[in-house]
Amino acid sequence: MGQGLIPDQACSLVLRTRLGRGGLVVALCLWPGAHRVDVDAASVLTSRLAAAERPDTLLDPPVLRNVSHSRGTVEVNLTASPVRRALRPGSPTEAYAYNGTVPGPTLEVHEGDRVVVHFRNQLPEPTTIHWHGLHIPAQMDGSPLTPIASGAHFDYVFTIKRGTAGTYWYHPHPDRRSGYQIAKGMFGAIIVRAKDDPLQGIPEKLLILSDNRFAADGSVEFADPNSVAGMRDEVNGREGDVLFVNGQVGPSLPIRSGQLQRWRVVNVAAARFFRLSLTGHTLLHVGSDGGLFERPVEVSQIDVANSERVELLVRGTGDPGERAALRALPYDRYVPQTRPSDWNTPRDLLTLAYTMAPRATTPPVPATLRHVPALDTSIVAATHVLVLSQGLINGQMMDMARVDVHATLGATEIWQIENIVGMDHPFHLHGFQFQVLERNGVPEPFRSWKDVVNVRKHEAVRLVVRYDDFPGLWMYHCHILDHEDHGMMGVLEVHPPPPRKRS
Amino acid sequence: MKRSSASVSRTIAPVVALLVLVAGVARSQTARDTILQGRELVINHACAGCHGGLSPVAEVKWLAGMQAPLQEFYVGPCAVTPGATPCFKTRARNLTPDNATGIGRFTERQIFNALRFGLRPGETPDVTITSHTPGVGNFPANPRYLAPPMPWPEWRYMSDRELWAIAAYLKRGLKPVSNKVPDSEGPPDFWASEYTPEKLGPYPFPRFPAEFEQAPK
Repeated sequence: MGQGLIPDQACSLVLRTRLGRGGLVVALCLWPGAHRVDVDAASVLTSRLAAAERPDTLLDPPVLRNVSHSRGTVEVNLTASPVRRALRPGSPTEAYAYNGTVPGPTLEVHEGDRVVVHFRNQLPEPTTIHWHGLHIPAQMDGSPLTPIASGAHFDYVFTIKRGTAGTYWYHPHPDRRSGYQIAKGMFGAIIVRAKDDPLQGIPEKLLILSDNRFAADGSVEFADPNSVAGMRDEVNGREGDVLFVNGQVGPSLPIRSGQLQRWRVVNVAAARFFRLSLTGHTLLHVGSDGGLFERPVEVSQIDVANSERVELLVRGTGDPGERAALRALPYDRYVPQTRPSDWNTPRDLLTLAYTMAPRATTPPVPATLRHVPALDTSIVAATHVLVLSQGLINGQMMDMARVDVHATLGATEIWQIENIVGMDHPFHLHGFQFQVLERNGVPEPFRSWKDVVNVRKHEAVRLVVRYDDFPGLWMYHCHILDHEDHGMMGVLEVHPPPPRKRS
Repeated sequence: MKRSSASVSRTIAPVVALLVLVAGVARSQTARDTILQGRELVINHACAGCHGGLSPVAEVKWLAGMQAPLQEFYVGPCAVTPGATPCFKTRARNLTPDNATGIGRFTERQIFNALRFGLRPGETPDVTITSHTPGVGNFPANPRYLAPPMPWPEWRYMSDRELWAIAAYLKRGLKPVSNKVPDSEGPPDFWASEYTPEKLGPYPFPRFPAEFEQAPK
């Protein structure tokens, strides 16, 4: 993926697999020479791989092919349809997919691009595409207010705001069915690139983290809502016992000793929280939901709540032939009543496999990445208090016909999100990136653009947001999909400013 | 005519003002009475026996929840045989109106619903509950109940007026105290299989005299 791949690694993502019984070894170079891959060819490739033996090298999802010939326009075709494919290696089943692949193809765009997505819904039910984290008009946001009926077409048209380079994702957001559709396979990444990316040239990997669980026949398993398992899902959110990176189980990611890699990590799991560590390595945390920080932060582990993204620089400090594990460490986000018995067990997600190539010289990491302007908290128009309890915001379930928070276009406001129960709630605001000011009164250590903030058990988070550009109705909700689908959501209306009085 | 009307309003204005004042005093008197009634019920139902760390009303920790792990309850076979399972530790929560650690972020209706129906205020929508049976009316289909030994199955028989008075006292008659009590443990169904309508018995209670009662002669 990515234009950043340097030539001598252009074929580093060679995939070897055996197709069929003949033991035919096929090597495919996954580097087409540009950052646009024909999606149809790529889907054939990945579905063949799924049918064959499990590949153990981490694959990038295909990239959506730009069919536009005009500069600055990215025009793509995206179809949601039922497919028969293996979500868990070796067990084909009925799934839902974007353009036939799971994960869906990656949407790659540049800041300032005009994006046209010709979307066709071939699912047997309504859906939407929510462009998670993008600052685009409300009617293009793919919220539950704008369902696309089964069999219908819709063109999502929007422009990528400058200064928003980063990692995002897209997923269905229909009323009450997001968890179901995403579990069936519908999610894909969005990469917004900047012309002046300070990390340009560093090889990139996309890591889409997900989980799922399956019945014996390989089908996606959902608990009966009236069973104890169903109640547990309703409280915890539905977690799966099989963990995936880019739809693969336990893949390996090659790295050369001394190499620097940029990882874009997206947590698309319905409820699972990933506390990541890379054995024997520290990580440089360089970015979050809305793009890069001002400077890298060295960490030994990193939390990725539901729907959050992190950008990391991984320094290949190991020796040729060594291996390291990207690990999901235990994290207690649960109430005692429904905490899983195995919550305390670390899980391996991926093996970082050092090639035998001799150690390369590690390129320097820039000390400063970009300027992240602070939102002006001296002109705050209002402070909204939102109380998160179990499945509820301010004691209420969402009503799409009700507006819970009113605001004026262009205003800067503070949201105080108070979690009064004993489990974490990752809070997402549609349409507008915000900045976290403090947690339980403690100022955030550094500034970043966020669209999801994990509000930990019994924690109060203050954030500041400015409603730029787009009036309309916007959702905010807990991004544990079961909570969202059960109505732990509210509606923000951004009103156009009143006409100015003539003096 | 006009003038006389104006002079009439001038005459009655002080009277109206006085009436409004009296009504206002009467109204605030009612609120005060409600809170005092709630206070009396909280004292004579021994709420602080669990929720105040046994401290008397004069103490700062009055109703501020469990103070030490020694005050945890063990629910399940381990209550009889140490080490037996399942074993749930439950804790009396902070009932003062502190926003972060108490009940400050719950409405009086949510507290009423906790006392009448046993529904955990953090897990139950802030609505008027219209039945006593899960899934009927707007009683949650998967109700999440307060942990034992909170005796709401008996106290729910208090009158509406009494329960609202307790809620009013807790929310408006107490000063907030910060005391974070760890969440109670419990089964994943939040005690729903223990608090079925069958096990709870009828509400309201049967007419007097019931099977084992006798009417005075």
